[in-house]
Amino acid sequence: MEPDKDNKNQVLKEQQLDEESMNDDQNEELLDEIRKENIQLQEVIQKLEAELDGATKDFQIKEDIPETQIKFSSLENPENDSQFLNISCSFQVSSQVSYELQKGQALITFEKEEVAQNVIKMGKHQVQLEGESVELTAEPVPLSTGVRFQVHVDVSKVKITVTEIPDGLGLPEDQMRDKLELGFGKSRRGGGEVESVAYDKQSRSAVVTFVEPGVADRILKKKDFPLYINQSCHRVLVSPYTERRLQKYQIFSGVSKRTVLLTGMEHVRTDEETVEDFINIHFQLGRNGGGEVEVVKCSLGQPYRAYFEE
Amino acid sequence: MEPKPALGTLSSALSALLEDQARLKKRLRELQQLKREARVTPKLKVRGQMVPFPVPEVPLEFRGRTEQAQEAARSVVSKLRICCPLPGGSALVTFDDPKVAKQVLRQELHQVALEECRLRVRVRPLELPVVPGVQVASAASRKHVLVSGLPAGLALPEEALLDKLELFFGKARHGGGDVDTRELLTGGAVLGFADEGVAQHLCQVGQFQVPLGGQQVPLRVTPYMNGVIQEAKVSTLRQLPALLQSSRAPPCLSLLLRLQFPPQIRWQPVPCSVLVLGIPDVLDGPELRDVLEVHFQKPTCGGGEVAAVAVVPPGERGLAVFTLGSG
Repeated sequence: MEPDKDNKNQVLKEQQLDEESMNDDQNEELLDEIRKENIQLQEVIQKLEAELDGATKDFQIKEDIPETQIKFSSLENPENDSQFLNISCSFQVSSQVSYELQKGQALITFEKEEVAQNVIKMGKHQVQLEGESVELTAEPVPLSTGVRFQVHVDVSKVKITVTEIPDGLGLPEDQMRDKLELGFGKSRRGGGEVESVAYDKQSRSAVVTFVEPGVADRILKKKDFPLYINQSCHRVLVSPYTERRLQKYQIFSGVSKRTVLLTGMEHVRTDEETVEDFINIHFQLGRNGGGEVEVVKCSLGQPYRAYFEE
Repeated sequence: MEPKPALGTLSSALSALLEDQARLKKRLRELQQLKREARVTPKLKVRGQMVPFPVPEVPLEFRGRTEQAQEAARSVVSKLRICCPLPGGSALVTFDDPKVAKQVLRQELHQVALEECRLRVRVRPLELPVVPGVQVASAASRKHVLVSGLPAGLALPEEALLDKLELFFGKARHGGGDVDTRELLTGGAVLGFADEGVAQHLCQVGQFQVPLGGQQVPLRVTPYMNGVIQEAKVSTLRQLPALLQSSRAPPCLSLLLRLQFPPQIRWQPVPCSVLVLGIPDVLDGPELRDVLEVHFQKPTCGGGEVAAVAVVPPGERGLAVFTLGSG
């Protein structure tokens, strides 16, 4: 190329580069901004994904079962022998399905399903609340899922759990098993006839099954037991042998057919009871699309947890 | 004119970033929608996708029971039933008033008056195991399926219905296999299979026509979320010797272990009842019951109003059933 043209091109390029570099700065800023927004979006997405992931294992129920009054009910004599080998305890746990009633909302339960469905279908309702006409919106109540299951616990009357079994004695597994049977089998040492021993060397524990029910109870009066192995006495720990299992585990979704959610009272000033009365009166009337009302509850201030039952 | 490389890079960088953003925003909207739905219907993660799975609907209504919203909704424990074997030669005496039971227990030995002689018996409180707490998590089970769509008016007793379902889904020609477990829940049945593959296959097929009560009933098969009791984490006992050595005043061994092993059960005495032991073989059941009732109503032994007497004569056995008392 001719030097002149080169120069011209060079200058042009420089000029353009100059313009571009000015735009570049602005553009770089723009790109940075978008990059930042994207990173923020990523973070929110990751949080939501983790939350939803956890939601599948969401039904963690940690229940502290309160002290209850246990009362004698009856004496039975079942055919099944195995029922005499354990104290068996069973109970049902059901999560309570509820709706958090926010300020300005009310729940109304009708006697008849058709009435409730009709009120929802009508959607908007003009209701007189202490002289003021307020527009309320009727909708179905969004209810969460619940879970229900039975817990069964069997405490054995013939088995005990033995732990802290010495393992430094150089005895092979088989022999230690026999020593345990011998040690727990002597009635003059507090034991009784042993049916079987399941010994796990690794965890230094065992389950000893006795022939007669009384022996386990006697041994378990204390937390430890003197186990004699070759003339030397070792204190091992004893505790009840229990088995726990769940039955009839089911996740269910609560669905309300006769209760309706009313919203639109955020600005209402009167007290809750008065509003509940007005709502009750309004929705009792057939000409308002209502019918027989069972219960009304509203919140005009702090939220309430409203329980839904079968 | 060919775009200058610098400008080209810039605009392509820009459009790439904007595409990213559009994709991210779309994903965010999806997740927000899923979150709204997850509150209402549970979802299962199948091959990385959140898939809704049907759960039975239980109709519930608001009956007026409310609470301050700060409290987390508690679960309800109901239908408590404890069955305790009683040995031969024993009896369980239940009083109206727990204070009376306490008074009676002050003496360990009681002399029960008969016409010609006296029975010497021992009394003790009866302690029953109570579960102090339980932690349960649910996880999709690979071996179970939920069979739903059972018609409401089926005139089949529970066992017969489960038999029919096991018969149908136990057959290879229906796509099934050996059934290990079966349970009837509200609105559905849970079947557990020996072979995971069978469970997965049945879920994939999804719809079946099953003969029940003389007709072909359309049933749906879906995955089942099973509950698992979370065992308390227990550190190995090997750490104990080190713990004992490290502390200056070695704590009591049993106390340490109680901390390491949170109790799965707690022993609670039955407040209104006393266990009577060592009853000799001199009277038959009904007579023994009467004699004990008379004795334990006497103020001289600390007794009072007796609500019930359950006897297990020597040589026999009985199962005492306890339930939740009112109040």
